[in-house]
Amino acid sequence: MVRTVFRELVAARLQADSAEEVIQKVGKMLLDHGFVKDTYIDAAAAREKEFPTGLKLMDIAVAMPHTDPEHVNKPGVCVVQLEKPVIFSHMGSPDVKVEAEMIFMMAIMDPDAQVETLQKVLSVFQNPEIVKEFKNAAGADELFEVAMKHIG
Amino acid sequence: MKKCRILCVCGSGTVSSAMVAGKLKEQLAQKGWGVTAVETSPNGVESALAGERFDLIACVSPVYQDYGIPKVNAVGMLTGLSEAQVIEDCLKILEV
Repeated sequence: MVRTVFRELVAARLQADSAEEVIQKVGKMLLDHGFVKDTYIDAAAAREKEFPTGLKLMDIAVAMPHTDPEHVNKPGVCVVQLEKPVIFSHMGSPDVKVEAEMIFMMAIMDPDAQVETLQKVLSVFQNPEIVKEFKNAAGADELFEVAMKHIG
Repeated sequence: MKKCRILCVCGSGTVSSAMVAGKLKEQLAQKGWGVTAVETSPNGVESALAGERFDLIACVSPVYQDYGIPKVNAVGMLTGLSEAQVIEDCLKILEV
């Protein structure tokens, strides 16, 4: 499996007041470390408006912003804990708003090649106990370990 | 194993639809169905349908147009909140 979790793509207690700001700040992590092209952030922001990525899971809500492979240089998953919940619209139901507490921003080049990563992220979403581990991680180092354990 | 073809639709035609496709394959296999899944974005639905026959469309992003093929709302599979319901909805269509 191609590794997609890296320490430089993990952040805890990120401050942001809007989905836009989250995408800008988290997208910048991917950009600064060479994972995406400079068109990625705008593309992800535009995509979020048209096809929102908020997801209401069992106990908390998360968001998984991403965009087309053409904006990606190499695959990576940015795992970010938000300092306070930020409102995102729900995937598939744009009128429904959720308060996202964790962000999983993805840079995927080839979904067929990265199917294992995608299935692991999906398994995280579907398991309330695992999501809690992410949410309760005390700091970026611990969050990185949790992410390596479950996504890798 | 019975065979079926499912078109999975999400915003970019990559990430969310690939997640759903993977789960559908795994879960429907347990019910005796071999799934061939194709992922696309809402804009790509028409051309995907022109090329091949599909038994159903699994939507993560809304597909408003009626293409004469049954649709299933597959968002519950991503959140895990109504995975069983999504499978049931698919089976209802496939087993007709």
